[in-house]
Amino acid sequence: MRKITFAGVLTVGVLCAMSLGLGQAEEASAPLGLPPVPIPEDNPQTQEKIELGETLFLDDRFSSTGDVSCATCHAPEKAFTDSPLAVSEGIEKLTGTRNAPTVVNSVYFRTQFWDGRSPSLEDQALHPFINPVEMGLEDHQPILDIVRSDPDYVEAFERVFGKTGDEITMTEVTQAIAAFERTQVAGDSPFDRWYFGGEETALNEAQKRGFEIFVNEGRCVSCHVIEQTQALFTDNRFHNIGVGINAIQEEVPELAGEFLEAEATASEVDVKVLTDARTSELGRFAVARTFDGLGAFKTPTLRNVAVTAPYMHDGSVKTLRDAVVHYNNGGVTNEGDPVNDFLSSGIRPLGLTDEQIDDLVAFMEALTSPQFADLAEEAGQE
Amino acid sequence: MTKKIAGAAFIATALAVVVGMFAVDADEFTKEDLDRWHNEYMSVVKEGRELWVSADLGTNGVACAQCHPNAANTHPETYPKFQQQLGGVVALRDMINWCLMNPLEGEALELDDPKMVAMEAYVTWERRGVELAPGKH
Amino acid sequence: MRRRNHSRRDFLKGAGALAAASCLPVGTVKLAFADKRKDFTFAYISDAHIQHIAGAEFVRNWDRGLIRAVAETNMLNPKPDFVVFGGDLAQLGTKPELDHGAEMLSDLKYKMYCVMGEHDYYLDLGEYWSELFGPHYYSWDHKGVHFVTLNSILTYDEWTHERWPTAEQRMLEMAGLDNPNGSPFMVGEEQRNWLRKDLEKVKKDTPIVLFSHSPIQRIYKGWNFWTEDAEEVQALLKPFDDVTVVYGHVHQIQYNQIDNISFHAVMATAWPWPYPESYAQAEINWPELTVPMNRADPFFERDATGWQTIDLENGRIGMSYNLYDNTNRTVKYNPKTGRPEDTAFQDPAKRIEPQTHF
Repeated sequence: MRKITFAGVLTVGVLCAMSLGLGQAEEASAPLGLPPVPIPEDNPQTQEKIELGETLFLDDRFSSTGDVSCATCHAPEKAFTDSPLAVSEGIEKLTGTRNAPTVVNSVYFRTQFWDGRSPSLEDQALHPFINPVEMGLEDHQPILDIVRSDPDYVEAFERVFGKTGDEITMTEVTQAIAAFERTQVAGDSPFDRWYFGGEETALNEAQKRGFEIFVNEGRCVSCHVIEQTQALFTDNRFHNIGVGINAIQEEVPELAGEFLEAEATASEVDVKVLTDARTSELGRFAVARTFDGLGAFKTPTLRNVAVTAPYMHDGSVKTLRDAVVHYNNGGVTNEGDPVNDFLSSGIRPLGLTDEQIDDLVAFMEALTSPQFADLAEEAGQE
Repeated sequence: MTKKIAGAAFIATALAVVVGMFAVDADEFTKEDLDRWHNEYMSVVKEGRELWVSADLGTNGVACAQCHPNAANTHPETYPKFQQQLGGVVALRDMINWCLMNPLEGEALELDDPKMVAMEAYVTWERRGVELAPGKH
Repeated sequence: MRRRNHSRRDFLKGAGALAAASCLPVGTVKLAFADKRKDFTFAYISDAHIQHIAGAEFVRNWDRGLIRAVAETNMLNPKPDFVVFGGDLAQLGTKPELDHGAEMLSDLKYKMYCVMGEHDYYLDLGEYWSELFGPHYYSWDHKGVHFVTLNSILTYDEWTHERWPTAEQRMLEMAGLDNPNGSPFMVGEEQRNWLRKDLEKVKKDTPIVLFSHSPIQRIYKGWNFWTEDAEEVQALLKPFDDVTVVYGHVHQIQYNQIDNISFHAVMATAWPWPYPESYAQAEINWPELTVPMNRADPFFERDATGWQTIDLENGRIGMSYNLYDNTNRTVKYNPKTGRPEDTAFQDPAKRIEPQTHF
């Protein structure tokens, strides 16, 4: 049982988004290659709120067994992932169905989770607490009991929100967590310095060739977006790229029909997709209920991808090279495997040579921000 | 001194006479020149049209005209512009290359390839009369 | 930045509502039926343009379009009464193309009716087509509605039989949409006579739905968005209360009302075509009603392609377009205004950027 009092923003080299309680929509400066950090009007950043959020993020008392916190699956020292786990482990090492995405740069997503079932960082934070394979609480009451009674929290919530006792609700808790998460932005990678900073030597030749392939034969840039003055490496949309769903192709009509008939509520969707592997493969369909959503998942950012292995919504792709090969094969793991009927129409065989694949991988390794460079080196040595 | 000036004047006059005999001041051209040059131009437009309907530009037999009959929906009047599919601001021929590589599953042409000029000539000819709208998505 | 403060429940509900037109188990818009006629639904897949490269290789892009349409149509719940294939199964009318297309269509779990397209016809004048799919024009009745299929892509005898040295050449010439050597589509006298006799047995208040590849209108001759004898065919349909024409060929959303006849175009599964008004040198008769399909991103090969479900209600139709990678659209006959209208975007104030920013 750990409680951490806390004296500063965690990661180095990050520009914080700070407004001093002006209560207006704020956009803060961002690292090279990223647009201003979007801050919602109803949750402005303050240093104290960020610190409170971090404390909550690290607090493992908010679980049924008292040993799982947000940081369990989103570990700050692992770029906020639980690499090398393919799918995350919650209480009692229970496993879910999906790979923990990094918190770094998650502020730029318009929806949260692999299937976008949450519209904001604040909302996202509500769900793992009450998911049976994550923190395993029955409801949020135990969290509220702690933050309303623990003296350090009482003092912090009063200072940050001006609220005490029953006035403290999950709204305040999740707002603080989200405020902390909004500080985890990382750009200024070798790619950023080369492309936006004009540093000719920031990339080596293989990485430069990899960039050309990324924009041309690789057909990457339409979903992993690079623009003229900044690059999010995501289009914030959902695509079926043939991971996972290929294995259950025959069952899709039945599964989809069953799911619709069950008419799940939002929370039930959250539980179902993390506890039933076959339902998990329905992807965005579980949320939007359109044909386009079948087997579709949100495009993650490629920033810092070298340190967030393994890859894809189910962690089934071990290395960056494996990922490129999957795309090169046209959305199947092994060349010649049957392609699923609902494959995104942006995916098709690419005909890349081995050297081109290596160059693409080299390019992706150039997307690591300086604060994760050491982590990347360790990952590279495995 | 007078001799020099006179000499220079003589040469200038002689030149003027010689030049005048051939009527080739740099900015003079005749109706025949215009007609001829227009035909020279249209011959390249015609080449561009042949490329436009050709099944051989890519590797899968698809022709530009299948999706762009009469080069419709190519919007040459908007280039250079930010092209989402290329991640930056590009010129028309960059997008032509994108189409060659993607729906036609072929290879890009060199940017100074005469075929590229021919296709641009055809595309802009079919779009004649439309106002410029640079940068328009 | 938008949408900062949604509650979770609102968010999901909103997402569901937007998707209503093509959701499972929806595929039908069910109203309490008036008269004794029963309302029902059928599916419509069109313009697959299966294109042979060499050997066993076909253009992957068009193959994927047809595969996806068939897979999704099979998932409709409740099931449609039947499915129609709207023409242009092949690109150059060859046996490998028709066979490959027929194979993909054979996965459909429903009875199928087929309409002839020019890309199917001009190589062998529909001979192999008939072996696979039956007659080129015919009619049938279903739940109180009289259905007619016409072969509306014929043209002048001279062009068809005398102009070209080989059948292959003839097919190539007709295959180019913007080919100046092409020839206008028509239904022709033989079918018009057949249609007149066929309709003699039909009561004036029986709803009629006519399937055709060409528009039975004269829209833009340069791209053969055109039926030369459109007025004569329309005249044969004039005496009836509720007439709908469903046509393919144009690869885009179009709809119109001329007197008593509603016209609805279907999407292609293969690729979209530009609107004729985007050709700066064209003179067009544009169906004014049409709210254009959303502009496509060509990176997504299925963008601006799709298939449809058609609901029969009170003798008129509502067409729900299932559009991949795009906002679905529904165009439905509005009895108050007496014409088809887009259920979401007909009002210009409601249009979204992809419909206005071309």
